[in-house]
Amino acid sequence: MSEEFNWLEYAEPEESAPAPSPRRGLSRFLPRLPRRPRIFRTLRLSFRPRLPGLLRLPRLPRLRRGAQPAPKQSSAADLLGTQDERPLEELDDRLQMLRERSAASLRSEAESRQALYDVDEVLTAPEILDKPGGVISAAALSKAQQQQVELLKDIVGGGAAQANEVSGGRIRLGAPAFSLSAIPRIVGTAVLLLLVSLPFASSDFSEGGLPPAEFQEDRHGATTLYNLLDNLTTDDYVLVAFEYGPAAAGELDSIAELFLRHIVAQGAKPLIVSSNAIAIARARNIIGGINRSVAFSGNELVHLRDYAILRYLPGGSLGLRELSENFADVARVSYKGELTGLEFESLDDMTHIVLIAERAEDMRHWAEQVVTQVERTRLLAASAYAASPLAQIYANSMDEIVGLLVGYRDAYTYGQKLDDDFGALLPASDAPVNEPVSPNRALGGAESQAEGAGAMVEPSPPTEPPPPTVAPLPTTTPRPTNTASPTATALPTATATEESIRVVEVISPEQVRIRRGPTRADDILRLALAGDLFAVIGTNGDGSWYNIALSDGLEGWIAAFLVEEKTLTVAEFLAGGGEASARNPGERVYLRREIIASLGKNRPRYYQARGPIGGDIPEYVLLRDRSAEVPRLEAMTLGTLGAVVIIAGGNVLYALGALRRRRREADIE
Amino acid sequence: MGRGGLSVFVAFIVGAIAIVSLLLGDNPALFGAGAGSEELARRLTLPGDVLLRLVVIVIALSVVIGIVNLLYVHIGRLARGKFYSAVLLASFAVTIAWTVLNKGDASLLEAVQVPIESALAALLFPSLALGGARVMQKRADVWGLLFVAVVLIVLLGSLPLAELAPVQAFSDWLMAVPVNAGARAILLGIALGAAVAGVRALLGQDRAYRG
Repeated sequence: MSEEFNWLEYAEPEESAPAPSPRRGLSRFLPRLPRRPRIFRTLRLSFRPRLPGLLRLPRLPRLRRGAQPAPKQSSAADLLGTQDERPLEELDDRLQMLRERSAASLRSEAESRQALYDVDEVLTAPEILDKPGGVISAAALSKAQQQQVELLKDIVGGGAAQANEVSGGRIRLGAPAFSLSAIPRIVGTAVLLLLVSLPFASSDFSEGGLPPAEFQEDRHGATTLYNLLDNLTTDDYVLVAFEYGPAAAGELDSIAELFLRHIVAQGAKPLIVSSNAIAIARARNIIGGINRSVAFSGNELVHLRDYAILRYLPGGSLGLRELSENFADVARVSYKGELTGLEFESLDDMTHIVLIAERAEDMRHWAEQVVTQVERTRLLAASAYAASPLAQIYANSMDEIVGLLVGYRDAYTYGQKLDDDFGALLPASDAPVNEPVSPNRALGGAESQAEGAGAMVEPSPPTEPPPPTVAPLPTTTPRPTNTASPTATALPTATATEESIRVVEVISPEQVRIRRGPTRADDILRLALAGDLFAVIGTNGDGSWYNIALSDGLEGWIAAFLVEEKTLTVAEFLAGGGEASARNPGERVYLRREIIASLGKNRPRYYQARGPIGGDIPEYVLLRDRSAEVPRLEAMTLGTLGAVVIIAGGNVLYALGALRRRRREADIE
Repeated sequence: MGRGGLSVFVAFIVGAIAIVSLLLGDNPALFGAGAGSEELARRLTLPGDVLLRLVVIVIALSVVIGIVNLLYVHIGRLARGKFYSAVLLASFAVTIAWTVLNKGDASLLEAVQVPIESALAALLFPSLALGGARVMQKRADVWGLLFVAVVLIVLLGSLPLAELAPVQAFSDWLMAVPVNAGARAILLGIALGAAVAGVRALLGQDRAYRG
């Protein structure tokens, strides 16, 4: 290339028609459609429909200083070129291999000479140096385009070019180390974090109401799913599908635990299955949590006696197909490879199938591969919030699917119904009271707690759930297990309530710490207020600490100088709001208010209740840690509010900026 | 018949057997009401069941092969001094050892994996909120406005605030009608795509199984 290229005489070649792509299959027999209809080409119209000008706002350039469009990386060579700026050892393995191949394919100058016979010199491409305003720019850009470039430079302050560095013949498209645009992001993230954290620190930051006491009405009725599980008996088996991984554990653990507690509380046996290997380990841990909560009573769930975790189902939808076709074989082996001793013929031997799905695909696979293969069994479905739009389609269109429960809010409603119904099984005087204590009452500690069980029900703040009433069981929901169970008759008798017990009453005006052991170095289990009553189990060696019974079956230690020892009858003790334990006469239900230390704040929580020791129903349901439920829901509300404000505010600012820019463009034109 | 033709032939035969078995075997009513129809349906189901079990076993084995391959790759990377490969291999060894020594204890799942994955999932919240705030920066036109408006309506509709009852009603309608329609369309598309992909595989148009 000895002559210089004449830019002025250069004309762009006319666009040649692309070669028709080879046609295969049936398309060979169809008429070939033009890429663009002739009328469009004649009129020079585009296929892409355009809106009227008034509806179109111009696009904004990136406002961040030094921002550059991402380099086009359409091929491996482009990628390699970009990666060439980095140290070789940081490159991905595949890119290293590609680089090696590329290097091998480039011949050295000597090899080139050898390859090109009888040629002494090899022509190399002349280096073209561009500079602002140079001939290339002038020839390549039209006047309008140059105006746009100037406008862009004006907007971005011309900093982009300066920010770039030239090294080794390559231009590094570097962004400044710190950008002003990072500040709104940092502030926005901090605001969101603050909003979702506040409800956990104090009950003063609450907005909005709690989820309703009933589920939303669906094609099967609002409470059909709940009632189907509530009608289980000891002869029933329920297949529970854990189809969610650790990422969705925060959202779906609650509903999974409630399903399991409800099933085992009715005496039915859950058979857990999953096509997600990690979900099987997760299910084990949830069962472990249930066992810890009822460990005091010796009613822990035993694998292959009270429940079973079946083997992992590999293959996604194919694994589910195998489950539905060969359920008898699947049910014979547990996740450990043991024989379960379960003999079933088909999935129809299950009373129900419960599905907890993280993704819409899980719902689709179960609906297509399992539900279509069963005749009598129904699928009771719950899903994550993000999966609900697609999962809802199946729930709406298939009669065999009941639900859908969605996310954490429906889990709260489910738990509330369980507590209300199972609490109603207890005698009225001992029914669990599910409202929080008034904050003033909890924090001040000035009022006496020995007000009697009836006086413990205090008016709820407007944002809290309504006081649950000790309602009779739903007439539409027969409870074969409960009505036949000895629970009601096993509840305390007059003889038991007349027995005397040794108690201590908190006399300190300040909050008192109940510890795990008889030293100040032991962990704090909870806080107590003046007037709180506790049954005494014993004392330490020198009598400086009392070993007391707590309502959840745990034992704690309280310093002797903070309390006064008394002897009360069980009736007086319970009437005074005291809490007893399994070691006390009566062996039955114990109530008290809970004040749980949460992030250093005394946040009033729910009353706790426990079922009769040796009883077979309520303890699996009522003994749940509900301390984080309300702040979680409040955090969700505040976080959503924060997101709404940030999204709305940010977009208003950007839209105003776009309008301003359009005006400037109009002025230039 | 070359190697390609043979694999297509095998795929077609196996696929046809599976389809016939799974479709007809599940519907004994197709063969009449007699007792013989049940037996015929059962016989038709048998080859499909066998193939299904074979496939599931192969998939289960592929999981093991995947683990072995993962170890092989990262041992190779470890030889080149890759730090993260060393972390991965150490984590693998610790998890296996912990689970074996503690007889299947899964507390590492609770202590490590669940918090990490939950934290990563939680990052979506500020990321999506801040990304949503910049929609009009990237796309300042009517479609951007529409997108932002729908996002705000759905978010406001999810708030448990009595003052927002009209917005909640509109949000419910959005979810029940347009979103439902779009979701159905997606599901129909998935179903049609799966059917087409299956037919193409059976007819040898897609030969991914040939390796």
